[in-house]
Amino acid sequence: MRTSHKVLTALVPLAALLAACGHNTQDAQGAKNSTAAFDPATCQGGTLRVLNQGDLTHYDPARLYTSGGGKIPTLLFRTLTTRNRVPGPDSTKVVPDLATDVGTPSDDAKTWTYHLKDGLKFEDGTPITSADIKYGIERSFAPELPGGAPYLRDWLKDAQNYGGPYKDGELSSIETPDDKTIIFKLRKPEGEFPYLATATQFAPVPKAKDTGVDYEKHPISSGPYKVESFDQSKHLVLVRNDNWSRQIDDQRLACPDRIEVTAGLDPAVVNQRLATGAGDDANAATTDVNLGPAELARLGSDPQLAAHVAHTHFGDTTYLAFNPKVKPFDDIKVREAISYAVNRQTVINAVGGSQLADPATTFLPDQAVFGYQPYDHFPAGPTGDPAKAKELLAQAGYPNGLTITLTHSTAQSGHGPGVATAIQDALKQAGITVNLEPLDPDSFDAKVNTPATEPGLSIDGWGADWPSGNPFLAPIFDGRQIIKSGGNFNLAQYDNPEVNDEIDAINKLTDPAAAAKRWGALDEKIGKEALTVPLYHSKDLLLFGKNVKNAWVSDWNGLYDLSVMSVK
Amino acid sequence: MTRYLLRRIVETLAVLLLLSACVYAVFYVLPGDPARLICGKICLPDQLTAIHQKLGLDQPLWEQYLHFLQGLVAGRDYSSGPSVNHCPAPCLGYSFQTDQPVTGLLLDRLPVSLSLTLGAAVLWLVIGVGTGLVSGLRPGSLADRALTAVALAGTATPVFVLGLVLLLVFCVYLAWLPFPGYVPLTEDPVAWAQNLLLPWLTLALTTAVVYSRLTRTTLLEILAEDHIRTLRAYGVPERRIIGRHALRGTLTPIITLFGLHVGTVLGSTVLTESLFGLPGLGKLLIDAVNTIDVPVVVGATLLSGFAIVVGNTLADLLYHFADPRVHLT
Repeated sequence: MRTSHKVLTALVPLAALLAACGHNTQDAQGAKNSTAAFDPATCQGGTLRVLNQGDLTHYDPARLYTSGGGKIPTLLFRTLTTRNRVPGPDSTKVVPDLATDVGTPSDDAKTWTYHLKDGLKFEDGTPITSADIKYGIERSFAPELPGGAPYLRDWLKDAQNYGGPYKDGELSSIETPDDKTIIFKLRKPEGEFPYLATATQFAPVPKAKDTGVDYEKHPISSGPYKVESFDQSKHLVLVRNDNWSRQIDDQRLACPDRIEVTAGLDPAVVNQRLATGAGDDANAATTDVNLGPAELARLGSDPQLAAHVAHTHFGDTTYLAFNPKVKPFDDIKVREAISYAVNRQTVINAVGGSQLADPATTFLPDQAVFGYQPYDHFPAGPTGDPAKAKELLAQAGYPNGLTITLTHSTAQSGHGPGVATAIQDALKQAGITVNLEPLDPDSFDAKVNTPATEPGLSIDGWGADWPSGNPFLAPIFDGRQIIKSGGNFNLAQYDNPEVNDEIDAINKLTDPAAAAKRWGALDEKIGKEALTVPLYHSKDLLLFGKNVKNAWVSDWNGLYDLSVMSVK
Repeated sequence: MTRYLLRRIVETLAVLLLLSACVYAVFYVLPGDPARLICGKICLPDQLTAIHQKLGLDQPLWEQYLHFLQGLVAGRDYSSGPSVNHCPAPCLGYSFQTDQPVTGLLLDRLPVSLSLTLGAAVLWLVIGVGTGLVSGLRPGSLADRALTAVALAGTATPVFVLGLVLLLVFCVYLAWLPFPGYVPLTEDPVAWAQNLLLPWLTLALTTAVVYSRLTRTTLLEILAEDHIRTLRAYGVPERRIIGRHALRGTLTPIITLFGLHVGTVLGSTVLTESLFGLPGLGKLLIDAVNTIDVPVVVGATLLSGFAIVVGNTLADLLYHFADPRVHLT
């Protein structure tokens, strides 16, 4: 009883985390099988069911923290730009959604201008104007509606102390010269603004219908579906929005007539139901439940099951974080020794084996869109190089080994006790005695993410908000993003003017390919300082029901896209 | 009787007040910041401060608790952004995480928990007392030994395992029942019962053994007592001895246990709830604890505490009727 309970409590924050981040790669076999009979022209009809473990909290565009517009939110909220809805590497591209293009930069990418498409309407038939988009963004600043990503507050001019429209009126750095035009004035050059404009904060909200915290009970849809009923933590039922059509939206197919989301289910039950596919469950999918050990074991021998699994690859990295302000981690030799000593194979076994994780030697995830450039500065092989580690320790003045403390979260997630023990065992081979400091997830965050209390060595993970190097590297290595009061992710407390300048320079680029190259080079360069030990990039496997078609996985967020799936 | 009830009510209020103060104190001491969880993955210091202010977490603990008590008596006002929402007395506050009034959340979850608990309670009472009587009347028989073994196996199996096995058997292999979800009784009574059948069984089978063992031992004890021997000596028919005299005595400890049990189970069926996807009080409480949602934790704890006290009081009353020698003072 006690064990099950522990797993349960650990899964809840994990689900929340997964909801906030995105994921990547696709299942060749699954995609082939399900797209074979799929025709967008005749895919309409039926009810798609979504079986999820996470709760349905805050379906308010101001409060959602999504990647590329989210999974379920994207059915309700159209944004200025969105992720490209095609399978394969092109799915990481930004495409226009409500706007006619992905944005026109001017003034060194400090000003971004968008024009709205013709014929856009809310679910009640009123036309969508640029003022509705401006208002949607403004209300995301209200303290009553927290939860969204902080980029807008950081990027927009004069927005740092803006308290939202309820208190402070309008935000002057967003201009709407006419009903179709919206102009954003930024504090500094931001070449990746089109990526940010995929977030739900860029969805239009009609001011007349804004009920503040109660807006989420029935958010006004601009997408293919609208809310029929919403019973928080239990059910969300979406039906067609008659004021939406494929003529005004070239991204969403909106095949099912109805989408019913059931939340708060046990993960084991979700997988069992999807694998069995009895009755309505054949028309079901999940957006947040990974395959469990039982299904993973069956995968190799059960082609039926394998055909209905989407292999996804979330752009994330789990790593050991050094705090060089704490001895002995101020010595790069010690950090290098630990980099050589880790055994990535036992770490990966601890998180479920090679089906669920790939070894990592770079901080950037191993996908081209992040700017991934392969490097392995401290080649330890799959099982570590304790001899080399001992040699480096001797050079650092620890010929007889040393004793260190590793802080980790007790959550049964990929950063939990399993990984900590694997690291402890591997480092022992190199003469390093590791004392573990397990902390419950809240205490872990409070201690590790506050520079004053941050321990010398901890296990952490990072996922990107959009598929690019910026949201992956800047929060971790930009010296100006060290947040003293807590919520700091620059765990190395690394402040290198050269790196900061390079980040600024790349942010001026508006060509994603050119930017990606430089992010990759920057990652390779920072990697030499051994500020982190990348451990693994996680992979996810998700089941979908037997009748579900067109369930390919987007490389943007690594999840199949409900807006293009069909049950017919 | 009236005096007894009045005293119980005053006692109940005192217990609940103490309980709410304890929960507040516990969460104040525990690490973790609910505002941090609300704020999103990356949170700027100013945003955090704004959320602290909004939730009233910038005030000292005693002041927060005072506001809570004030809300109970007089209600409270909350800013929804463009307007102000009034939470009428007795106001348990607003959830930090979902921005819903706690009273609404509890009332939303209560029918689920009541359906689950009361249905399961009837089952475990019938199964437990039934098997206990069979065993007790024929101690040492094959039926006694078989039932004892089955009952012990039921308790020894964790809720999670038993529930999953039942799901696999009835929903996957036999496909006799749909995968359970919650359907309100008022909407479709048949679907309600159908969906709750497996959760009821799971909960009942893991609980029934206590009743079975208690019934068996008490019955055996009573059957060995002097007054039964006297009745037997007078030639009173065995059926009458058992039905009139032995059973009545057996009931008293069961009533006490049952009253306590139902109240306790109401707020603590989180495993059954999660497994079968039933959004009940237990799941609400555990989710709230995980997200440091203090108002919801306080509300759910108070409701669970209230249920236990009420269960106890009812048990005392029933006790009095089952055994008139017991006086209510």
